[in-house]
Amino acid sequence: MSAQGFLELRGIASRYGTNQVLSDIDLSIEKGEFVALLGSSGCGKTTLLRLIAGFMAPSAGDVSVSSRDVTRLAPDKRGMALVFQSYALWPHMTVSQNIAYGLKLRGVPRAEIAARVSAMQQLLGLDGLGDRKPAALSGGQRQRVALGRALAIDPEILLLDEPLSNLDARIRLTVRHELRALQKRLGITAIHVTHDREEAMVMADRIVILDKGRIAQQGTPEEVYNRPASAFVAAFMGAENLLHLSGRTEGDDFVLAAGAANDECRVPLGARLLASGEVDARFRPEAARLFAAGDAIGAAGGAVFSGQVLSVSYPGGHWRHVVRLGDTEIMADADRAFQPGDAVNVHVPAHALFLFNAPASGPATPISRAEPAKVTA
Amino acid sequence: MSGGSLFRRGETNHPLGTKSMSSKRLLGLLLVLPALLVIVVLFIIPLILSAVGAFKVDGAFGLGNFVKTFELYTQDIVFTLLITGLSTILIGAASVAIGGYLTLGEHPRAVAILKFLYRWPMFIPFIVVGQILRTFLAKNGMMNNVAIELGLTTPLDAVSLLDWRGIVIAFVWKQTPFVALLVSGAMASLNRDTIEAARNLGASRLRVLVEIIVPQVAMTLTVGLVLSFVTMMSVLSVPLMINAQSPTMLTADIAFRVNSYGDYGVANALGIVSLVLASSVAWIYLRASMKERA
Repeated sequence: MSAQGFLELRGIASRYGTNQVLSDIDLSIEKGEFVALLGSSGCGKTTLLRLIAGFMAPSAGDVSVSSRDVTRLAPDKRGMALVFQSYALWPHMTVSQNIAYGLKLRGVPRAEIAARVSAMQQLLGLDGLGDRKPAALSGGQRQRVALGRALAIDPEILLLDEPLSNLDARIRLTVRHELRALQKRLGITAIHVTHDREEAMVMADRIVILDKGRIAQQGTPEEVYNRPASAFVAAFMGAENLLHLSGRTEGDDFVLAAGAANDECRVPLGARLLASGEVDARFRPEAARLFAAGDAIGAAGGAVFSGQVLSVSYPGGHWRHVVRLGDTEIMADADRAFQPGDAVNVHVPAHALFLFNAPASGPATPISRAEPAKVTA
Repeated sequence: MSGGSLFRRGETNHPLGTKSMSSKRLLGLLLVLPALLVIVVLFIIPLILSAVGAFKVDGAFGLGNFVKTFELYTQDIVFTLLITGLSTILIGAASVAIGGYLTLGEHPRAVAILKFLYRWPMFIPFIVVGQILRTFLAKNGMMNNVAIELGLTTPLDAVSLLDWRGIVIAFVWKQTPFVALLVSGAMASLNRDTIEAARNLGASRLRVLVEIIVPQVAMTLTVGLVLSFVTMMSVLSVPLMINAQSPTMLTADIAFRVNSYGDYGVANALGIVSLVLASSVAWIYLRASMKERA
């Protein structure tokens, strides 16, 4: 292998008994990169993190750090520190003792431990809390102690197992940015496991989406958001609206056949490897635009579906409508409210319409188009 | 009329008026009464009578029984304390070792076997334990016979362990499973992440046990050891069967005063001494638990 990453996973597989938890995981992470492992619960993301940390051995494949094979190495010999979802602070130790423990284990002289612990407390805004026990701290403070305990030993790689999931929603938003800023400042490599799409988008340089123990797609937040490689990724990244359509390739275009709710239309194929036949079309509610039936649709290109508004709600910022198109219901946003019963046209721009061959027909590997698309999220 | 009437009105408006409140209280008292009676008649009154009896010499109050007790049995009091104390320490160490292995052991089969085996002595009565150890620890007992067969010792060098060592062995053997059960239960309910966090930072398994696990189960361990201490203080069969010599434990002395002399006065005084010893340990526990809660 020529282009070696800092942390390299090759052909990782893991199983519990007959249950295959992970398979064919190949991942290369650069020094200083912030990578988010994103997936729903049970997709194997925490298993993968524990495997990297060394709490379990893979059933196949290997893990290396700086070209050094660490697959069978003990957790503490890998230069990694893990921040647990539960924080796992030791309740019988004070904040300072918690942070100092890793240094104590390494036989660091007492004076140096004290200096580093107080520097760490200052860095994390824990000044004056050094003598408190974890039970006397707030959730956010505990989270910072857990982070301090991991960072105190100066690890090369910081592993974060859903560290924000136990925080209040409002604190979580600020901690996201604090954590990201801290990671950048220290130049540390970070792997962050989360099931929160927005959290991954905001924090990570690269998002690795896991589905059923395999990497479904990896890329920058912008790539996975705008160019999902599979129907699963599209759905996971918020394109929950699903329409079953059919069509055929014609030159550089894909022609969607007229259906129950749409006329024939064509969208540029780009780099999509679509075969003629049944397709699943996915799009986000916020990418669709609503027009009253009969109004002229200003934007050219894309697909137009006609339907009827079933209900409307105001989640904030825009009106969200449930629209019936033929026999399916989709959600679409608009700046003004349409009334239930209104006949509307739903316009989905070509770049926001994700097309995948339906599982039964066509090639099994739908690839998104690589052409950069500009979508306002 | 202003403030007072307001208060009364609030009271009568309450869904449970004064009347129904008191009848509820009466019902509660009735429900507790049988249990209370049993405790008072079978426990508290006998205890008070014994305590009073300890201070009675020939129908008059005095400290004669205690003078006699300390004249005759000071050595036995110290012996009892040392035996029980040493056993408690050994029980603590053994149960932490067992609980630690059950929690941290990396060989699932060995853990399963230990889990199956360690509880057995709990179900064997003290008197049976005494009998078993008599045949095992005697000069011509099974332990020495095996050692002689293996060439580890000779019949001349074989020693009987049927003295204070036998009592300690019996106590540790019988009480360790009980404490280990409590301790390993507490260890099993710890947040595993706290153990893995320490492993992640490089703590060896021994350090994890001593520095992370034991401090977190310290309260449970103390409870188990206090209960064991009190139990061992009250065992009669083991000292009688294993250590039929002087010095011996207070329980044997009490039995002796009652059975051989009908001397309830000194027996009661010895009982008070045991009670003081046992409750001083309970006091240590209470103080520790108060400190923990503070």
